[in-house]
Amino acid sequence: MRNRLGIITFFVLLFVCFIVVWNLSYKNGLEESYIPLENSSSDIFIPSESGVFRRSGFALEYANMPIDINHQKSLDEYYENRAYYGAPPSIPHPVKEMNLGANTCLQCHQNGGFVPKYNSYAPVTPHPEMINCRQCHVAQNSNSLFKPTNLVKILAPKVGVNNALLGTPPLIPHQIQMRENCLSCHAGPAAPKEIRVSHPERINCRQCHVPTDRVPNKIKPFIRTINNTNE
Amino acid sequence: MYNSLSNRRSFIKRMAKLSAVTAAAAMFPGIIFADEQEAAIPNGANINWKKGPCRFCGVGCGILVGVENGKAVAVKGDPNSSVNKGLLCVKGYHQTMCIQSKDRLTHALVKKNGKYVQTSLNEALDIVANKMKETIALHGKDSVAMYTSGQSTIPEGYVASKLMKGAIGTNNLDCNARLCMASAVAGFLTTFGADEPMGCYEDIEYADYFITWGNNMAEMHPVLFSRMLEQKSKRGAKIIDFATRTSRSSTASDKSILFEPQTDLAVANAICYEVIKNGWVNNSFVEKHCNFSKGLINMGYGIEDKYKFKDKPEKINFEAYKEFLKDYSPEKVSKYSKVSVKDIKYLASIYGDPNKKVVSYWCMGMNQHTRGTWMNNLVYNIHLLTGKISQPGNGPFSLTGQPSACGTAREVGTFTHKLPKGVVMNEKHRRLAAKIWKVPYERIPAKPTYHATEMFRAVDRGDIKFIWTQVTNPLVSLPKTSRYRPGMKKDSCFVVVSDVFPTPTSDVADVILPASWHIEKSGLYGNSERRTQHWNKMVEGPGETTPDAWMTIEVAKRMGFSDLFPYSKENHVEEIYEEYTQFHEGAKHGMAPLEVLKRESGVIWPYVDGKSTQWRFNAKYDPACSNGESFHFYGKPDGKAVIWQRPYEPAAESPDKEYPFWLNTGRVIEHWHTGSMTRRIPVLHKAMPNAYVEFHPEDAKSLGIRNGENIKISSRRGACVLPASINERGLPTKGQVFVPFFDENMLINDVTLDAFCPISKEPDYKKCAVKVEKV
Repeated sequence: MRNRLGIITFFVLLFVCFIVVWNLSYKNGLEESYIPLENSSSDIFIPSESGVFRRSGFALEYANMPIDINHQKSLDEYYENRAYYGAPPSIPHPVKEMNLGANTCLQCHQNGGFVPKYNSYAPVTPHPEMINCRQCHVAQNSNSLFKPTNLVKILAPKVGVNNALLGTPPLIPHQIQMRENCLSCHAGPAAPKEIRVSHPERINCRQCHVPTDRVPNKIKPFIRTINNTNE
Repeated sequence: MYNSLSNRRSFIKRMAKLSAVTAAAAMFPGIIFADEQEAAIPNGANINWKKGPCRFCGVGCGILVGVENGKAVAVKGDPNSSVNKGLLCVKGYHQTMCIQSKDRLTHALVKKNGKYVQTSLNEALDIVANKMKETIALHGKDSVAMYTSGQSTIPEGYVASKLMKGAIGTNNLDCNARLCMASAVAGFLTTFGADEPMGCYEDIEYADYFITWGNNMAEMHPVLFSRMLEQKSKRGAKIIDFATRTSRSSTASDKSILFEPQTDLAVANAICYEVIKNGWVNNSFVEKHCNFSKGLINMGYGIEDKYKFKDKPEKINFEAYKEFLKDYSPEKVSKYSKVSVKDIKYLASIYGDPNKKVVSYWCMGMNQHTRGTWMNNLVYNIHLLTGKISQPGNGPFSLTGQPSACGTAREVGTFTHKLPKGVVMNEKHRRLAAKIWKVPYERIPAKPTYHATEMFRAVDRGDIKFIWTQVTNPLVSLPKTSRYRPGMKKDSCFVVVSDVFPTPTSDVADVILPASWHIEKSGLYGNSERRTQHWNKMVEGPGETTPDAWMTIEVAKRMGFSDLFPYSKENHVEEIYEEYTQFHEGAKHGMAPLEVLKRESGVIWPYVDGKSTQWRFNAKYDPACSNGESFHFYGKPDGKAVIWQRPYEPAAESPDKEYPFWLNTGRVIEHWHTGSMTRRIPVLHKAMPNAYVEFHPEDAKSLGIRNGENIKISSRRGACVLPASINERGLPTKGQVFVPFFDENMLINDVTLDAFCPISKEPDYKKCAVKVEKV
């Protein structure tokens, strides 16, 4: 009898332990599956420096390149090809479906050049290291819409109004994430004529031009935290 | 603030049509100014262009300020200036925008019962002069001090020196250039016996290699870096970046070599070892023009108050020097410097190749170093051993950070040991100063007193009872401000601050004097390449703002020294310059006369017989060479430069278990020094609104730190909270964090260490041990 009682108590204890452990681990499991969302605590946004000097080896050639007036692109065309200001451009020419991009695109878009087939200069990509091109860039195979939309394109910054003082170098009015390499879009025959730089040979662009477009954060004016000079 | 477009457009159109831009268009066939780019720009601006030097760094670019209706409305590069040839950087282009800041100090403020009361300037100057007189009467001459700046104009520095050393008779005068250029000065004096670089910026056009020693020129000396990049793309010149952090300069360079902080000493010696081992020594040059010396070692770091050190130079021979270098074989050095043997040999082979011209550039990386003087000596050693010095495209070149660190701090001599010519310790130099100043020679004390760090320690200790700071913001820029801020707040010291804007330094002042900004006064600056630049007042300053030189003169007059300061308010700049140039007469340091400076966009001294000397010590270019040889290092009595035996010694504080990270501090392109000016320029503030702490991505990952998170950086001295920055502007090496020091709301200098180079007394802001925690 005593033996039996001992065995029963042992099993009851075991069972209770099992319940407790199971509950605990279940609770722990619940906690782990919850990832708290942290708010970024700061306003800071310093553009990355990666690839800033990438195309600088071509700078002198850009400077000495004669302008092919008949095949210049305009800024309107440039924005026309984007769903909104800052969106990845769509592919305005036919493409084979069975590839992700990579060398097929880079052949023309790494260094640019005239493409007789389209009677146009190929624009140069500022980020040739990203080779899954068609992850972001898609063809436009139809002009029709599935359903009408109320979408309005936001206005892109104007040219010639981005200077802080008379005649000072224009500020950079757009985001430069993934577009750190200025020469890609601002120099060479494929650059829109309105934003083609007059001095591509000065490759340290951000020596004079600094970003002013600082979405998503609002930059507050410089305020001294200690201020006791005001009587 | 800059919303009106019509004027700007009209102006741009004029610019594009008229100025240098059209000339450029003719030179570069690719350039067009398409009508589209100037669309809708009407005609009709009426702007007056006035020439001057840039207000910011030591490069000394020429600027043209566009003035319309008495207001500065535009800035462009001066195409006549051979420094920048029409180009500026983002700070330079927008510099005049700070003077319209709403919190400009326009009137004198005097602290009464804990509150600042607007006071007439006359009354405020009376208070300053009376307080100074009273303090001297009570506590002696050495209880008053002045702390000026490498941004003071030449006349401002000159009258400060004359007031303190000539009139009052104390050497309690030092300047913020102690924090940036002192090691360069000590390096030049110990090696060559004459301060300032022998070459000039034109070297850039001839050099095959640019080796930058701990120097992020793309951000700190951007216009010079642009000139280097131009040579890189045109001639294939190479840029080698030797640093402790991957910066914008590193990415633009042909090669970036990273080293462990402080081991630059060992690497420089290893380069000399390789140069000798491979027979790359220019034997005839070394024989004719060099001596070998060694000095004391284990000098300490000056962390304790009243630290004293005097080097004892001892002549040695080439053999002994070679023996010493045996400890610095690339194999041995690479073990602790983390530079590969291959890279050390590569650097040595560049210096060693007799057919390649090499310029070495450095600035704060080598100067703000507890062995800064040694480090300067060591780079000179490399150039002397290979004979690559004082020739177009060949030479060591020490860059400066302030617009007149050379012109004022070093040439006028606003250091405690300096006189406008020579040093206070030298009787001949004292006699010359006394003669020109018309004061009794005995009045100038022969013993230097406080250098910058020690001066603020003396304020903290209560030894200095009155301090007047001009054109500088020590409570942001000093190391270990966690000690010196409470020190300056103490009642034992009366603090006078002259400035343009309120700063953390003016916050502790008893009297605040309203200073004129740069273009609101006339003045002269001297840049890194010995170029003296003059400008005339361009616009009126607001309220009672007054040039610093004139406020010093007014105080001197009120103290009873009118006879020593007989200058007129209208022409004091010119009168002072005429008096000052008497000090430098002669072929070794002759200054250009004012009428030449007014005409030209800066002139390099020595200015002899109407000609600038571009390469000193080289008989081909320098008329002061008199030994009949092709080179003459006339700064030293025997005409020979010194190759110094200087060992590697560890940093004053290295990372340990408790404080496991190196802290490196520095600057960013958008802001200049303590940011009191550049942060009030909206363009620059928007581009770089606050400081940050840079991490290596692997360190950030192991600490679980994400971009933008607030991080507390603390050392044994203090702490500072900043947002983290990963893979943005720069990339510190693993185990190192980097913080720019411009932000007065995030004072990283509360954390830094006030250890300094025992010879130059310049603090090391680049190395101390910190720990990091998420907040």
